[in-house]
Amino acid sequence: MPAVKGDGMRGLAVFISDIRNCKSREAEIKRINKELANIRSKFKGDKTLDGYQKKKYVCKLLFIFLLGHDIDFGHMEAVNLLSSNKYTEKQIGYLFISVLVSASSDLMKLVVQSIKNDIVSRNPVHVCLALQCIANIGSRDMAEAFNRDIPKLLVSGDTIDSVKQSAALCLLRLLRTAPDLIQLGEWASRVIHLLNDQHMGVVTAAASLIEALVKRSPEEYKGCVSLAVSRLSRIVTSSYTDLQDYTYYFVPAPWLSVKLLRLLQNYPPPEDPAVRTRLTECLETILNKAQEPPKSKKVQHSNAKNAVLFEAINLIIHMDSDPNLLVRACNQLGQFLSHRETNLRYLALESMCLLATSEFSHEAVKKHQETVINALKTERDVSVRQRAVDLLYAMCDRTNAEDIVAEMLTYLETADYSIREEMVLKVAILAEKYAVDYTWYVDTILNLIRLAGDYVSEEVWYRVIQIVINRDDVQGYAAKTVFEALQAPACHENMVKVGGYILGEFGNLIAGDHRSSPIVQFQLLHSKYHLCIPSTRGLLLSTYVKFINLFPEIKAQIQEILRNDNNIRNPDVEIQQRAIEYLQLTSVTSTDVLATVLEEMPPFPERESSILAKLKKKKPGAAEDPDAAGGKSSPPTVASKPMPEISVNASYQPQGASGGSADLLGLSSSAPPAAAPASNDTGCLVDVFDMLGTGASPTSNGLTAAADENYKSATTPDLEAGPDKIHEFVCRNNGVIFENDLLQIGIKSEYKQNLGRVGMFYGNKTSVPFSNFTAEVSLPGELSSQLMAQAKPVDSQVEAGAQKQQLVNIECVTDFTVPPVLVINFLYNGAQQHMTVKMPVMVNKFLEPAEMDAATFFQRWKNLSAPAQECQKIFKAKPPMDGEQTKSKLLCFGLSILEDVDPNPENFVSAGVLHTRNQQIGVLLRLEPNSQAQMYRLTIRASKDAISTTLCELLESQF
Amino acid sequence: MIKAVLVFNNHGKPRVSKFYQHFPEDTQQQIIRETFHLVSKRDDNVCNFLEGGTLIGGSDYRLIYRHYATLYFVFCVDSSESELGILDLIQVFVETLDKCFENVCELDLIFHVDKVHYILQEMVMGGMVLETNMTEILTRIEEQSKIEKSEAGIAGAPGRAISAVKEMNLPQKIKDIKLPDLPSIGSLKF
Repeated sequence: MPAVKGDGMRGLAVFISDIRNCKSREAEIKRINKELANIRSKFKGDKTLDGYQKKKYVCKLLFIFLLGHDIDFGHMEAVNLLSSNKYTEKQIGYLFISVLVSASSDLMKLVVQSIKNDIVSRNPVHVCLALQCIANIGSRDMAEAFNRDIPKLLVSGDTIDSVKQSAALCLLRLLRTAPDLIQLGEWASRVIHLLNDQHMGVVTAAASLIEALVKRSPEEYKGCVSLAVSRLSRIVTSSYTDLQDYTYYFVPAPWLSVKLLRLLQNYPPPEDPAVRTRLTECLETILNKAQEPPKSKKVQHSNAKNAVLFEAINLIIHMDSDPNLLVRACNQLGQFLSHRETNLRYLALESMCLLATSEFSHEAVKKHQETVINALKTERDVSVRQRAVDLLYAMCDRTNAEDIVAEMLTYLETADYSIREEMVLKVAILAEKYAVDYTWYVDTILNLIRLAGDYVSEEVWYRVIQIVINRDDVQGYAAKTVFEALQAPACHENMVKVGGYILGEFGNLIAGDHRSSPIVQFQLLHSKYHLCIPSTRGLLLSTYVKFINLFPEIKAQIQEILRNDNNIRNPDVEIQQRAIEYLQLTSVTSTDVLATVLEEMPPFPERESSILAKLKKKKPGAAEDPDAAGGKSSPPTVASKPMPEISVNASYQPQGASGGSADLLGLSSSAPPAAAPASNDTGCLVDVFDMLGTGASPTSNGLTAAADENYKSATTPDLEAGPDKIHEFVCRNNGVIFENDLLQIGIKSEYKQNLGRVGMFYGNKTSVPFSNFTAEVSLPGELSSQLMAQAKPVDSQVEAGAQKQQLVNIECVTDFTVPPVLVINFLYNGAQQHMTVKMPVMVNKFLEPAEMDAATFFQRWKNLSAPAQECQKIFKAKPPMDGEQTKSKLLCFGLSILEDVDPNPENFVSAGVLHTRNQQIGVLLRLEPNSQAQMYRLTIRASKDAISTTLCELLESQF
Repeated sequence: MIKAVLVFNNHGKPRVSKFYQHFPEDTQQQIIRETFHLVSKRDDNVCNFLEGGTLIGGSDYRLIYRHYATLYFVFCVDSSESELGILDLIQVFVETLDKCFENVCELDLIFHVDKVHYILQEMVMGGMVLETNMTEILTRIEEQSKIEKSEAGIAGAPGRAISAVKEMNLPQKIKDIKLPDLPSIGSLKF
């Protein structure tokens, strides 16, 4: 039965044939212009056109539009067609409007008027046309005009099914355009009950609408959960003959099942045990069905079946509560990983990414590592390989990091260009995050540069330099490795940059070997110099001047290069200026001054890797922190985790003001230690400039050594990364620990012996209330046995601008190293927010000061001489080194100040007792400031092993 | 949500384009070209999903497509849609077209672009799936063509009269004209 063929419009057919017969683009345009002129004249002509003619011309215009030509007339004629009482003319009018007229058009008023007439028509096909048009255009004006009529149509008993269906989706469209105008009020429950409607089409459309409503106000529509579960259960358990026409290739109502499963993903697992059991049964049935032999060999059958299955698995992952289901889901996905259908492999990889973030199934996912790696090697489709990369990234942890990174590096050599950059970022992040041995990290990054240098963005090579500078145990190795890498005849420019920087800082560490003696290092670098772009050359010039400081014996050769016309008269201003300044600096100043100016770079402040920020920006959502179990719904505003322990000896600096301004150079607003002596010598530096007579501004010179062009563009502004403020609270008990655009968290705490009382204050900074607010204290890993924490429940609603308080009681059972974590969830404007904040509860909070005389102190000091009992750290000071401040810091840390114990009055000696439930631990401290070198030596001894190290690290961050 | 439904042939000529979110005309054409570029270079037996082009919203959007003989059917959807579900929806769309046009081919879509839109309207509305049951969709389309026929019967007459006058191929037509029998002279009365 050809339902729509019939007598068409001959003129239209002729026109289309003409176009199709056009031999060239020019001929086509000519024919179209001729037709447009014809239609225009017809529309403008005196003769009134009948409906048929208008319809024909409008059809022609539609066709011309489809070919990509602008249509700037005919709109009025289309609007006129709307008021025709003939269905076909009305229909084509509406079609033209919905394809060609935008919501901002002046004609909208007329269109709205026509819709108003049709929507109250007694003829349902007219009502449907009107609804179609509203759903297509969905402007705010329409929302204003119809926000009463459409809900009425939807819930009225008289409306026929097809109109109800359309009304539901129409309302959904208006809800998206103007959420403020659509209020269902007392009709809410009637809308929810559409889930029970007899007509499956109505239920499908209503489920879409309800999901949008639920996202807006979950509490109001909570009732839909049990209805959705029972509807789902009826579908799942029905045989394929029950639902007749809604059975698609032997699968009962697959689209509706998918919709219902999606709807349920907006809520936590049902609280009502009966509903919960029923849902679990449904999910089990769906998983069971996957194991049954297929009822048809047609691909449509397996598609429909698996669409439901994947959605069920997504719901299981979302609920993240039933380990049994999670593991079954994981096994099912594992089967799909080696399925012959590419689509299924793709989806399985994607869903597994989510599974990998659940703590219950992370291990189960890891079992498939080999298959996934294999997929990377053998899949023919780049989209599938991309998913495999995502999954490897998600399943990576400390145990498999080396394997996964190695495989990704191997793959990188042959990877598609489109995904290389992202892969490079991922490898760089994994290598840093899971590095146990930093020599491995350095090797990995240098390999990255070797294999895919073009795709290694600045963030990546800045980061490796930051890490090498902050970790003194890897500096020698890094110097040796870059030296070897640079010996390759052709090496990437990024390698030259990293090599130049690292040798400039740490070249002295390998200079003892005659194969890498100073002059060899210099010649090696200089052999690359002429092949590099100006910014790299600038960096190398800084390396050279640093060499003069490190290796005075090659000063003459380097000065020779600086003096070379290619540099001192280089057309590039930056190179020229550096060459002149460095030459003067090294000729005029004494070695002492030179040594100060060109001193080794100070450690960088600890911060989140800018690489992670870049990946997040590139792929929002896909770049989830692989550690964040269950963090799949966390929005990007959430406080990110700081990078783990990258800078053990990095002195902590508050980053609030300077966090965005990139400093590979450490040029943050709080002056880093090395900058201080340099500025003391400004008098001398100014002399240098006077002599040069160039009038160069001292602020823009390159004297802080190393490439200062970097600090202009070094890191991308990283708005998401909330700085980890926990170190500010080592010596403080009260204050604001976290703040973003939505939420402020304050803390007030007091401690007595091994007990603590902590008040948490949650302030809503927005003008919208938070609902479903929960805050829980999580004690990760070992901490659960080391600390007891009991958090009182907090109100689930936080009004706009209001503050809610939560009391947490804490008991220290035994000593601990990591702080507890506060897990906060709430709904803001219907969007789930999830954040984790470290609570500033450190072991030193349970310290109480102890008094003793010199003799007792020395007696006890001597008794605690086992290596594990002592920890000593020598570190650079953050100026100023003020005695009074130091005293108050030690007191706040929980120790006493013992006067007249140390023979040197500059030194500080303290004692305290650490109270835990199990035992009391004695703690002794000696702090020796050296104001000349701007250094401290801190020694702590404690009667229990390892505590001294923990305390040392905590206290070090304060100086 | 479905953001766009695009149908184009193996050479990238658009046959149907329907956007459920407003884009300016030239952007619409660019999206069609970009999508064609992304989809057409893929082998036939690779997977049916890929990340959307930059114009339509990048990696937050998926292109889900099927290739039938000379035509690509592409649905661009956001993450709230089930990929396999949409793949089946494309199949329902094509099967419905096939039923309506009897062995649908590219030419049917070209010459009846309005009808194709009406069929699509019965399945997708405002970017959401409206109806998936083919019998139901066909019933509604049939209903429409019944109305069309009845309207063409009464009021369409003048229109058809005009198009008949415009028939250019008159000689051929004349051959086919059967002259009516003349009334018998005998019965005439003067």
